[in-house]
Amino acid sequence: MAAMRWRRLGRLFDPREHTLPAGCREYAQSPQALVFDDFVRVYFSTRSVDPANGKFLSRVAYADFDRGLRTLRGVSAHEVLPLGGLGTFDEHGIFPFSVVRDGERVLAYTTGWSRRVSVSVETGIGLAVSRDGGERFERVGTGPVLGASLHQPCLVADGFVRHIGGRFRMWYIFGTGWRAGAPGAAPDRTYKIGQAVSDDGIAWTREDGAIVADRLGPDECQALPAVFAIGGRHHMVFCYRESFDFRSHAGRGYRIGHAWSDDLVRWTRDDDAMPLTGEPGDWDGAMQCYPNVVEIDGRVLMLYNGDTFGRHGFGVAELEVAR
Amino acid sequence: MHRWHKLGRVFGPQDVDAPPWMQSFAQAPCAHVLDDVVRVYFSCRPPPDANGQYVSRSAFVELDRADLFRVRRVAAEPILPLGGTGTFDEFGVYPVSVIRDGEGWRAYYAGWTRCESVPFNTAIGVATSRDGERFERLGPGPLLGYTPDEPFVISGPKVRRFGGRWYLFYIAGRVWKRVDGRPEPVYRIRMATSDDGLSWRRENRDLIAPRIEADEAQASPDVFESGGRWHMFYSYRGSERFRGRENGYRIGYAWSEDLLHWTRDDTRAGIDVSDAGWDSEMISYPHVFEVDGTTYMAYLGNQVGREGFGLARLEGSL
Repeated sequence: MAAMRWRRLGRLFDPREHTLPAGCREYAQSPQALVFDDFVRVYFSTRSVDPANGKFLSRVAYADFDRGLRTLRGVSAHEVLPLGGLGTFDEHGIFPFSVVRDGERVLAYTTGWSRRVSVSVETGIGLAVSRDGGERFERVGTGPVLGASLHQPCLVADGFVRHIGGRFRMWYIFGTGWRAGAPGAAPDRTYKIGQAVSDDGIAWTREDGAIVADRLGPDECQALPAVFAIGGRHHMVFCYRESFDFRSHAGRGYRIGHAWSDDLVRWTRDDDAMPLTGEPGDWDGAMQCYPNVVEIDGRVLMLYNGDTFGRHGFGVAELEVAR
Repeated sequence: MHRWHKLGRVFGPQDVDAPPWMQSFAQAPCAHVLDDVVRVYFSCRPPPDANGQYVSRSAFVELDRADLFRVRRVAAEPILPLGGTGTFDEFGVYPVSVIRDGEGWRAYYAGWTRCESVPFNTAIGVATSRDGERFERLGPGPLLGYTPDEPFVISGPKVRRFGGRWYLFYIAGRVWKRVDGRPEPVYRIRMATSDDGLSWRRENRDLIAPRIEADEAQASPDVFESGGRWHMFYSYRGSERFRGRENGYRIGYAWSEDLLHWTRDDTRAGIDVSDAGWDSEMISYPHVFEVDGTTYMAYLGNQVGREGFGLARLEGSL
């Protein structure tokens, strides 16, 4: 495969510079692009503080840019989808919020967060639909379309959906379990990338098991797959990290991984085929995560978060393709 | 017209020299007639933790087939361990519905996890056994989890096989209602069908319309065939002040010709709370079974089975 690399174009959006809905001040996580005729809307998850206990609540907003992803046009004044009701799977956060067009509608595959007691959180993948071009979304039901199952026991999340070959296809992650990295430590989670298919986007049939080989071994966490095509080959970017000591320990946090497939069944991991390296000291120097790839006007652009999981916003890189 | 003649309380952990994990409660009875005994699976609890919170375990007691009031044996261990950290059944296995499957056994059960904004959530898991005494999970996660239409509190499984097809009657939560500042779940009776008991197709609708109020909660559907139609006994309660006699659980009744469409007629339940005693405030978790030509209903009394379950005998025909 011809060598390709991501050329970093810099940070695109810093949430501290804008007024965000619901009192959110920091975090613009998991940017997800939706291309319009004359602009690009980038959904992201920002955070407010729960007055009940000081914990974060992830909420969805968007920022609009020109088609070159150079100039900010505006920021949503409203929450795109309010949090779920008491006891629902998305009561304590929606992150990420992954969009795909379906005719006149825009579908959003949400990851809902609800807090637990013995572990911090459980998640599930929900579906919401917009009929006004992506301004506001309404849920399809109050529960998730994909959640824990017999062999995927927890933390089903990060649904990314595309309509390919007459079917909806989803790439997502599932938890393999919670374990404490050291005696007395709080349990940490490990998750892997899986895939599922559907005829209606609501009822999904999943493959059991992980589809992307580990690079770091069984403790590797893989998150936020995004799939796109270049020249007839399917590519997946995602982020991966160690299960333990990943928040502050240099070299154990998120970076960008890559896999490719010609049949959407078997995936070959090849992180070096499309490398992205952060610039030490810059906004993405210590961490690169939550990639989303969009093709606009012949350019292949990757939105992603940098240090501290996107607390200070997202940036963009452009694929330099040998054609 | 039928009625249930109450025979009294049969079993509670306080009656026997029970192990610590079986200190109180004998909930959700599920009977299997064996050679000399009737084995009744049930769920019980060790003492609460420092925060007053319980876990639920499941076990069985064997009653003499000729005298159901005579306890012959009590399980020495729970039939299934609790789930691991962060799994759906980490904090409880309750209730359990056990069915024979060829030479072996299968158990469908509700697993309990603890949540922050509401006290718990449940989903239905499955486990198998060769001897019916010790079960192993088929996987660490739930078999029936949450869906857009069934967002939480998936519980109360009763598994049946009719005409070679698997049926699962269960409940699904529809709302958590805040009552005096405390979240209380409202749930309704649902059904799913399957060819193998593992891959289920849900009907996605309530089988029984609410009667006493819009937020009526319904639990523990128990379905069997008799006289050419299907019968369902279940329990229902109000959404507020349901921990006492006023709005506590009562047993209801419905019948069906096709298992899909049910006619509710609680006037034909044939059983109500007693004026005094162990079942004077509420009755719930009905389970109907037949032993040597006599039809019995096992059911729970006050505080949803804190003192155990009792029996009533069918008089008249359904």
